[in-house]
Amino acid sequence: MSALASAVRTPEEAAKISRTLDLIALGAFFLIFLASYHVHCMLLFGDWDFWVDWKDRRMWVTVAPIVAIAYPAAMQAFFWEKFRLPFGATIVTLGVLAGEWANRYYNFYGFTYFPINFVWPAILVPMALFLDAVLVLTKSYGLTAIVGGLFYGLLLYPANWPLLAQFHVPVEYNGLVMSIADIMGYHYVRTGTPEYIRMVEKGTLRTFGKDVVPVSAFFSGFVCMVMYFTWHFVGRWFSRDYNIDQV
Amino acid sequence: MAATSRAVAGVAEEESLFAWKGMWGAVAAFFIFYICVRWYEGVYGWKYGLDSFTPEFEKYWMNLLYIELVVEALATAGLVAYLIKTRDRNIDAVQPREELRRYCTLYMWWVVYGVGLFWGASFFTEQDGTWHQTVVRDTDFTPSHIIEFYMSYPIYVMVGLGSFVYAKTRIPYFAKGWSVPYLMLVFGPFMIFPNVGLNEWGHTFWFMEELFVAPLHWGFVFFAWFILAMFGVFLQVQGRMRELIGQQLQQSADYSRS
Repeated sequence: MSALASAVRTPEEAAKISRTLDLIALGAFFLIFLASYHVHCMLLFGDWDFWVDWKDRRMWVTVAPIVAIAYPAAMQAFFWEKFRLPFGATIVTLGVLAGEWANRYYNFYGFTYFPINFVWPAILVPMALFLDAVLVLTKSYGLTAIVGGLFYGLLLYPANWPLLAQFHVPVEYNGLVMSIADIMGYHYVRTGTPEYIRMVEKGTLRTFGKDVVPVSAFFSGFVCMVMYFTWHFVGRWFSRDYNIDQV
Repeated sequence: MAATSRAVAGVAEEESLFAWKGMWGAVAAFFIFYICVRWYEGVYGWKYGLDSFTPEFEKYWMNLLYIELVVEALATAGLVAYLIKTRDRNIDAVQPREELRRYCTLYMWWVVYGVGLFWGASFFTEQDGTWHQTVVRDTDFTPSHIIEFYMSYPIYVMVGLGSFVYAKTRIPYFAKGWSVPYLMLVFGPFMIFPNVGLNEWGHTFWFMEELFVAPLHWGFVFFAWFILAMFGVFLQVQGRMRELIGQQLQQSADYSRS
């Protein structure tokens, strides 16, 4: 141990190095998990996230939280378990939003000229904050899965409604009723996304029309609980630190 | 206290623990390079990138593809060869101070890897999403594919591999045995690159050009999950960091406040 003691000279230097490494690690973590989470999100619910006319009452409300809760759960399993840091969900969510906004602005708008109003990403921060708050208050992954998971699903639509509502004002367009969102999809031509590919609510004979969002959000919250459990263990599994002798 | 002051005075003369110039230089180089790439794409994607059967496409885009693949292969081989050639041949004799410095450098490798992953897996990957919505493509080698798959992916793979070889050749803990999380951290994202095989096969034969969340893209997601192995890598480092600075850290005023 005496040989080791000379890695740093003073307690103050040790503290300074430790803090500096904290900052470097935080920067690395932000970028590394940003990229990983962004791939996950864009290829599992990206289509609903890209376009305002895909942000419907049934599919988007169901799919987005179920997919999005994976990385917050994994990150919490690492950050809280190992370091008692209560911002696992928030840091990955801020990361993915930074990545999405960089893309929507510099590429969707800056490269191919879709208006930002048409391609803004969904708001996820309130859900992440709630998840982190439940974990730090209850100190229980089980309760976070049940309560946090449920509200993760329930909160997506309320969190996004202030942005989304203005696009749902009805317009009579060439004799047809369309929402502003529909008109934007109609107007700003996407060569690769014909109308029939849009997976949105189209009504069924088993549906009671006005309850679509609450039912979808509740279902999403329920599946989010399962997802949280699963991805909590995924996070733990990836936290294993072990070596093998040969590859 | 007198002894402490002398020790601090000694610190100023020797090499810094943190290679700030290296890290910020690499980060700046990445940003400058990719901003230039984005500019090139913005101009020549529209000008010569819309019809792959024109001679201009051959000149401005296919040549870029050929050049970048050769440069990346050579650069990766060169980087790995350099790190192996300059490896620490007497790694067990490394002094604690020097070992700590190498850990600090490893942290900085992770930052640069993160920057590479941001541009590759985030920026240019979602960018391809919008180019898909803008052209009905007539080749697998569209301008955004030439940059996304064959430029930005190999470059972050190179940085990840570099960080791994750095740890393997410089840091005693990693020199012995093979760190499973580190292998996953480097080779998971690497597999995103060959997974382009599945992707192009799917696009060519399933006619699923329109959907970004289509199953043929899920291979990318699966391999991106392996980046979570950063958890395990970080934890592997912490044990030794605690030995190197933990004792002094616990005596610091900073520590006692927390």
